[in-house]
Parts: sequence; C-alpha cells; structure tokens
Amino acid sequence: MTDTAARNPTGSARMMADALLRSMTGTTALLRVTGANTDTNMLELGLAATPFADVVVSPVVMRKLRPSWQEGGESKWELIVSATSVEQQVNALSLATAQSLFAMTLSVTVAEQDYLIESIASNEAFGQIYVYRLLLREARQQSV
Amino acid sequence: MQNAKDSFYMALRTRLVAINPERTMLLRGAVRPGILVEEAEAPMSQPPSDVFVLRWLGLGIDTDISTSMAAEQCEIVYQTCGSQSFGGLDRGRALSEMDEELTAMIEPYWTPKLNYAATPPGTMLTKVFWEEPSFAPIQIQRDRLLRTASVIVYSYQEQGE
Repeated sequence: MTDTAARNPTGSARMMADALLRSMTGTTALLRVTGANTDTNMLELGLAATPFADVVVSPVVMRKLRPSWQEGGESKWELIVSATSVEQQVNALSLATAQSLFAMTLSVTVAEQDYLIESIASNEAFGQIYVYRLLLREARQQSV
Repeated sequence: MQNAKDSFYMALRTRLVAINPERTMLLRGAVRPGILVEEAEAPMSQPPSDVFVLRWLGLGIDTDISTSMAAEQCEIVYQTCGSQSFGGLDRGRALSEMDEELTAMIEPYWTPKLNYAATPPGTMLTKVFWEEPSFAPIQIQRDRLLRTASVIVYSYQEQGE
C-alpha cells in the first residue's frame, strides 16, 4: 500500500515534534517583543517606556538544566519550542527569519515566570527546522 | 549626573553618524547607529559585535569646590569577528577601524550638557568634558577580538540635578 497523500514529506519531523511536545504536557510561552517607537532618543537613553507585545508560541516544553551555572546563582532552563508555531508568528509579524523574532525578544514568560534568552539553537531534519531550543536564565524581579 | 551620561552618549552617537554612517545595528526592531548604553538595553549574554557598548562604572564626587563636580568612568567595549566576505580574516583591520572611529568620536573632549528628560531637550548652563581615552590591550577570544577603552567624564552638578 502506498501513501499518496499530497503532503510535504519533509514536514513529518515537524508533525512528530509537535505531537511529542503536545503529549509531553506541552504548554504555552510568551515572547515579549518590542514594538515600534519613533522617539529613538528617549528610547535609547532608557527614558521612554518601550511598548511591548506578547507573542504566543505553543506547544513548548521546559526542562531544567544541570545546576552548573554560578554567576548570581540563577537556574538555567532549556525551552523547546515548536518550529511550526515560531514560523506562524514570523509570518504574522512579517519578519524575515525566526532569528529576527528572537532578536526582538526581551524576555520569555512561561507560567508567569520571566526568563532571559542566553542562546538559541535549532534541530533540523531534511533541511527543515522542527524545534528551536532556547537556553534561558531566570530573570530577576524588576521594580514595579 | 544622569544628564552628563545622557549628553556624553548622545554626543558620541551624533559624531559616529557623521564619521561612519554605515555602522548601524538592528536593535529592538529599529535600525540605529552602532552605539548603545548597556544599562538602557535588555540584558544580553554577549555584547553585539561591531558596535560600541557604553558601560558606566566608577563614580567620584568632589565637593571641596564651590559647585560639586562628578567624575564618572565610562568603559567603551567593542568587539569584532571580521566580515563574512573575508571569512573573519579581516578582524584585525575591523578592530583598527573601530579604534580610529572611537578616537575620532571622542574629540573634541567636551559637549554641551542637555537635559533629555525634557521635550525638547533643554540646554543646561555647564558643559560635560572628559579625558583622553585609555585603550586596554586587545582580548582575543578565539575568533573574536575585543577592546575596552576607558574615559573619565566630568560634569558640574547644577541646581535641580
């Protein structure tokens, strides 16, 4: 029997990754991205409050990394993000690449806890990225 | 003191645009001149390459004179990995170019002090002035060359500051 379905065969890794993320208690993460602001002088000096927007990516899975991090003692986490979801948001925001989206991201919120992005990696199969892996560090409490 | 820090940054930023308008960066979704104040941006694990990063460190205040004077140490950090077209083999030249740009940006060693919290920014009575920069040796981190220059920035504290 032959699979004659008209779907992209290279998308199987993505579909499997999404299914696995969902089944592993896949949750939602909010990427806090900066909005457009024309008053660059005030913005660059930290005088004007930057407008933020929360971009939702789902499914994602968090896993805590081994406690080897020393500076300040903050825990490090790895956030595994569905590439399908990232691509949808990249298209919705009319960005060129996922890297542009992550470059605009100031912090990541998962379960009301903020994290800062330390580094970004991705896994791919057949030339297509199926998950992004964000190395995160817990953000400290900011004054209200 | 904040007005002096703001004025110093804005002076360098304006001069950089005149010296090398090609040195730009994409930050927070906007294309800007390739200079930033570290404490006014999101925390970053690694400073961006080919960009001047201003980091405010030491502070001293002289109150023995009629108007108190503040001296603040500004560390200017810049690094490069060279360009893609040269496979990074031009990183030494790229760092030298940034050395020259910084030397040109720093002169003249003064700028009017402005209050950027007001709209439009208000000119204050005194000036902000600084010393010649002291350049630290290059730090080599594999494919990355990094240099730090330190400048002491002086300003008189005006009424209301």
